[in-house]
Amino acid sequence: RIRPVRAAPDKISEKVEESIKQAQEACAGDPTSGECVAAWDEVEELSAAASHARDKQKEKDSDPLENYCKDNPETIECKTFDD
Amino acid sequence: MAACTVYSTQSLSTNCSISTPSKTQFSFHQKQVVFYTTGRRNSKRGSNSGRSYVITCAASDQQTVVIGLAADSGCGKSTFMRRLTSVFGGAAEPPKGGNPDSNTLISDTTTVICLDDYHSLDRTGRKEKGVTALDPRANDFDLMYEQVKAIKDGISVEKPIYNHVTGLLDPPELIKPPKILVIEGLHPMFDSRVRDLLDFSIYLDISNEVKFAWKIQRDMAERGHSLESIKASIEARKPDFEAYIDPQKQYADAVIEVLPTQLIPDDNEGKILRVRLIQKEGVKNFSPVYLFDDGSTISWIPCGRKLTCSYPGIKFSYGPDTYYGNEVSIVEMDGQFDRLDELIYVESHLSNLSTKFYGEVTQQMLKHADFPGSNNGTGLFQTIVGLKIRDLYEQIIASRAETPVAAKA
Repeated sequence: RIRPVRAAPDKISEKVEESIKQAQEACAGDPTSGECVAAWDEVEELSAAASHARDKQKEKDSDPLENYCKDNPETIECKTFDD
Repeated sequence: MAACTVYSTQSLSTNCSISTPSKTQFSFHQKQVVFYTTGRRNSKRGSNSGRSYVITCAASDQQTVVIGLAADSGCGKSTFMRRLTSVFGGAAEPPKGGNPDSNTLISDTTTVICLDDYHSLDRTGRKEKGVTALDPRANDFDLMYEQVKAIKDGISVEKPIYNHVTGLLDPPELIKPPKILVIEGLHPMFDSRVRDLLDFSIYLDISNEVKFAWKIQRDMAERGHSLESIKASIEARKPDFEAYIDPQKQYADAVIEVLPTQLIPDDNEGKILRVRLIQKEGVKNFSPVYLFDDGSTISWIPCGRKLTCSYPGIKFSYGPDTYYGNEVSIVEMDGQFDRLDELIYVESHLSNLSTKFYGEVTQQMLKHADFPGSNNGTGLFQTIVGLKIRDLYEQIIASRAETPVAAKA
């Protein structure tokens, strides 16, 4: 079984850009058509996904030591004792 | 004859009793086994053997409490969720080892599921039919109802995953019944069957001006986006939003309304907010928060010797009102805090907060000072609603513990 892998944030960014172009094209004829509305809805969905991915990445990058300690809890920098 | 299946979960403790007509009773409390009867709580079986058994099964103190949270995308649902799960303690994390694009968050007490997972049409499907995700036709309310009901009754379900990156419906994931289930998304109160399952419901109502300002903040850095594209996207979704999402707020027990400030004339930056907490009266296990005196109409400017405020200051209001024909109490905060620790001064004048100790609201806000909205009414009212939900949960559990498990012969 293949484990799915999370898409990279910059890949979502590409998708957002592409979806905006498509929406603008879809709306060129009729701005109230279902096709146009669905295209802009896709833009919103991808923009939200991109923003979530960015937030997650920011959280990951915010504390390098915390990040390192997740993988190496036994190192001297990371050891914590409750008492 | 009803079918019985033995079902196992890790976290559910149940209270089951089996009784026979000879009045012999076996009661047992155990952690691993749940007798589950499909359809009805009471089922007769074994009548052909001459002796009939009645199995009464009530997962009495451990039935799941279900909370609904409705809001449009990009309106701070995830921040609210993080504040809510923090009130219950422990961090909410995606299910371990599963699909990395899963929308579910799990903590010790709470499981949050995203209702986008009940899309009946994937992204291509919606495009072909020319419908948005806001449209009821793009959502499977039958499955939503069945699965939320099953979880509420203590049964695990295999819930689909809508992948927001690929726009496809991924293979399902197992959701075990938690103590508190939060269903968040666009339509938690749309279908009346699902609505009736909710023990409490919240609607985040973001005004158009603020929504626009927030989306600019969120998307302007994104390649390809411009003011025009952000505006076009909001405008295109508006008819469906007004037809299908917005009407749900009439059913909500609490609405958090976010509006532009009135402290600065003609402000359209959307940085300073006027936030209203609209609380329905007469909801079971929920008593609304009030300022100074329950039922009066009050306007209060706390700035002065005891609270440092810079321009444009802070203004609170409180009073009774009607909202979609329902009696409500509204607490409003306009403006923002400069120093979060001084929030304790405001907290001490609010009543019915359902805190466990003096200063708990301030402490919760300080704990997440980096979350968006921590210096204004959005963070304050989200935290208060979180405490109200904890109180509601505790009341429901307490009332269930009082009701003994009935065994009918």
